Amino acid sequence: MISLTQNEILKILLKKKMLLIFMLLLIFVSLLSYGQKYSYDNTIKKFEAESGGVAYDWKGLTTQRLNDLEERSGNAFIPEEVRASIDREMQQLNYFIENDINPITPTASKFNVQFVEQGITLFIPLLVVILAADLVSSEFSKKTIKILLTRAVPRWKILFSKFLALLIMTTLLVFIIAVSSTLVSYLFFQQWGFSEPIVTGFRLVGDQLNSDSTILISRFQYTLLIYSLLWFVSIIMASITLMISVLVDNSSSAIGILMAALIGGQFLQFFLSEWTVVKYFFVTNLDLTRYLTGSYQPIEGMSLNFSILILSAWAAVALIISFMVFNRKDVIV
Amino acid sequence: MDTSVLKVSNVTKRIKKKLIIQDVNFDVKQGEILGFLGPNGSGKTTTLRMIVGLATPTSGNIEICGYSIKKDYVKAMSNVGCIIEGPDLYDYMSGYRNLEILGSMSKGVTKKDIDEAVALVGMEKRIHDKVAVYSMGMKQRIGLAQALIHQPKLLILDEPTNGLDPQGIHEFREIVKSLAKDKGISVLISSHLISEVQLMCDRVSIIDNGRIIRNAAIHEIVATGEVVWTVDDPEKTQSILKDKFAVDSSIDAKNVTASILVERLSEINKALIYSGIEIKYVEHKKRTLEDLFLTLTDKHKIV
Amino acid sequence: MYKKVIWPLLLFISMALAVVFIYGFIASVAVSKSGQSAPIDPQPESSINSPADSDFILGDASEILILGDSIGFGVGDEENLGIGKRYLNLMAEKEEDLKTITNISVPSYESSELVQLIKNAENKASIAKARLIIISIGGNDLNRLDYEDSVSLTLAFKEALGIYKENLAIITQEIRAINPGAQLALIGLYNPYGKEDPEKNNFVLEWNYETSLITDSDVAFAYVPTYELFKYHLNDYLSPDEFHPNSSGYQIIAEELHRILN
Repeated sequence: MISLTQNEILKILLKKKMLLIFMLLLIFVSLLSYGQKYSYDNTIKKFEAESGGVAYDWKGLTTQRLNDLEERSGNAFIPEEVRASIDREMQQLNYFIENDINPITPTASKFNVQFVEQGITLFIPLLVVILAADLVSSEFSKKTIKILLTRAVPRWKILFSKFLALLIMTTLLVFIIAVSSTLVSYLFFQQWGFSEPIVTGFRLVGDQLNSDSTILISRFQYTLLIYSLLWFVSIIMASITLMISVLVDNSSSAIGILMAALIGGQFLQFFLSEWTVVKYFFVTNLDLTRYLTGSYQPIEGMSLNFSILILSAWAAVALIISFMVFNRKDVIV
Repeated sequence: MDTSVLKVSNVTKRIKKKLIIQDVNFDVKQGEILGFLGPNGSGKTTTLRMIVGLATPTSGNIEICGYSIKKDYVKAMSNVGCIIEGPDLYDYMSGYRNLEILGSMSKGVTKKDIDEAVALVGMEKRIHDKVAVYSMGMKQRIGLAQALIHQPKLLILDEPTNGLDPQGIHEFREIVKSLAKDKGISVLISSHLISEVQLMCDRVSIIDNGRIIRNAAIHEIVATGEVVWTVDDPEKTQSILKDKFAVDSSIDAKNVTASILVERLSEINKALIYSGIEIKYVEHKKRTLEDLFLTLTDKHKIV
Repeated sequence: MYKKVIWPLLLFISMALAVVFIYGFIASVAVSKSGQSAPIDPQPESSINSPADSDFILGDASEILILGDSIGFGVGDEENLGIGKRYLNLMAEKEEDLKTITNISVPSYESSELVQLIKNAENKASIAKARLIIISIGGNDLNRLDYEDSVSLTLAFKEALGIYKENLAIITQEIRAINPGAQLALIGLYNPYGKEDPEKNNFVLEWNYETSLITDSDVAFAYVPTYELFKYHLNDYLSPDEFHPNSSGYQIIAEELHRILN
């Protein structure tokens, strides 16, 4: 099995798939970073124009907010959770003031997380699909499946070695995304920002968002959490792509089908609140990061655990189907 | 003692209600070269694919060296090397890498085995070039090499001389024959070039419409010829052929036509003359495999 | 080269990463500690209003929430009180229970930006807790019309008004979805350029009229008119930037708010 997987990874590397993906990634990340920098600079200019030429004094505004909060927390009658929430926000603001950091400045660590938050439903799955789609399909379209399968190796082992190779490359891909989005955005923003505090830990209670048990963690830890979720989602995408590529003999159809599913899923998001069956579709559950950031419209029953369950189920079924079909398929090329 | 290297028993294949292969039986004995012939659409390719595990029979058994493909896939396949309508190799890799990768999938394939196979097919000089730059002939050679690296007992060759020039075809034929003779490897070869098959094979099986319609030994086919006697008494000739030699014949004016073993011709002629028949002409047409093939498959329709 | 170097490297790195990611994944799940799908019994200090409950929740700390732009923020108020605190001071004479103010206004905000602000989860929590929500928005939408002549001005105005109305409707809807019981109040627009540019008065009037139609359709949404209050007192009520109110201006708005609600 090890040498089989070794062979499969060699094939992926020699076909230069990873190079293509890396190029697409770089271009996209650069465009986004530039765009952010541009719009940030614009916001500052706008603000300064609005306040009649007064310079953007983030410190003043932040200090004002801090004072507001201090007053509120001085109130003896506020409930515990509110006090805790106030304390956290004050901690955050104090950090910014002490370290002389403008809280809305774009930083590399903000970017690499935002990139995932925005890209996890479409762009990054696309990269995974490109990687995974022709793993099986190209063997059929190039007809090399014949020499591959007429060996003293049972078919399931061959598919499994491809799956392992896919897992390894997907893991590396997620890492590459993390590193390149951080480095490229640092070039534009000149700020790391990994030690800044950020709030997370939102819960779903009934169908409301509850920020009672939120905690403060450093952006570095936050990045780790977000990218771990991305890794999980990427593996799910890879598994589903494997199934499509086994069912459909050529790569372009496979990619087309998956793109349609990903894009269609985006539209289905709008119906989540009325058409509840949509929440069982894998595409609507791809964005696991929203549970950490808390910025979404909570739907009854859709929590992080729920989405993880749905995604895992889809991947498991996809893998089962892949193996069953691959085992029995008549090769007629 | 069953010395079959390949045994195909009662194999049927149904695809979407259509019976593509019906109850096919044939075998390949140790050390022999079997030709597998059939017109387009006869089920020839499907049968070969079922033997090497690329397709599954609907019913029936296929055994290689006594191992069933269904139950002992790995053991069965480790005795088989094949070229199926090739050559289809990984063109972004070198010929050598292709062989390395494929070799690593079988037990006990060493660098020596690969090098030997490369030498056998005469590709030492270009083996490290990318397959994408190979000519058709070179690719076919690598195709043969990949079938040999794991020292199989049976070679299955489906149209292995696709796209080769006459020189290449000749070389290929020589290699296969020497493999069979020197190394005792059995070969099942399927080709459109019936003349080549006749030169290479010991026996042939002919398939048409999903059925085996004839199994014959080459020397028998060649040994039989069609003879036309132009005589004065055709009916008498016919009855002598039938009664004395158990040979059926047909009459056309003064001509009597029959298929006979060529070595019996003088005996038959003697008998006819002895019976008082005046023989004007004797015409002997040497039979070729192609003749047999075309005759047998003459009435086939496209299904 | 591949077998000996690249492959073991790739294998090792990916396995190490996998361990890291699995750890991070488990941590994410732990951090989220997602709740059950059935609502838990609301405790007395529960900060979540259930949708069916439309009464004021007693025993809560009553909150005043201010949302919107620079006027909501209190830009221009030399005493740094803004509408909220001034209103609170007026109220303190009458009520015993202490109120707290949360201000999530952002100077320069337009109505579209306020819509986004409301969708942010942390702000939702504040919205849910509030008893009175004061909104100041629209001034920047109107102030930033892009035009060259009177024709394009009218067109630009119609477009901006349309967008603003949609946004205001969404804002109202979103707030109500989270907090059906709170009292809402919207601060109307005055024309700070009333002296130099009286032609713009029509626009401001029409803007305010459309706004009040929207607020009127909600059962607990007060419209606080400021146009007349400021019209003849631009000198007294505007701050040196001749755009934002000064402390007197803010006081007048707070008093008007107080008068309407009590």
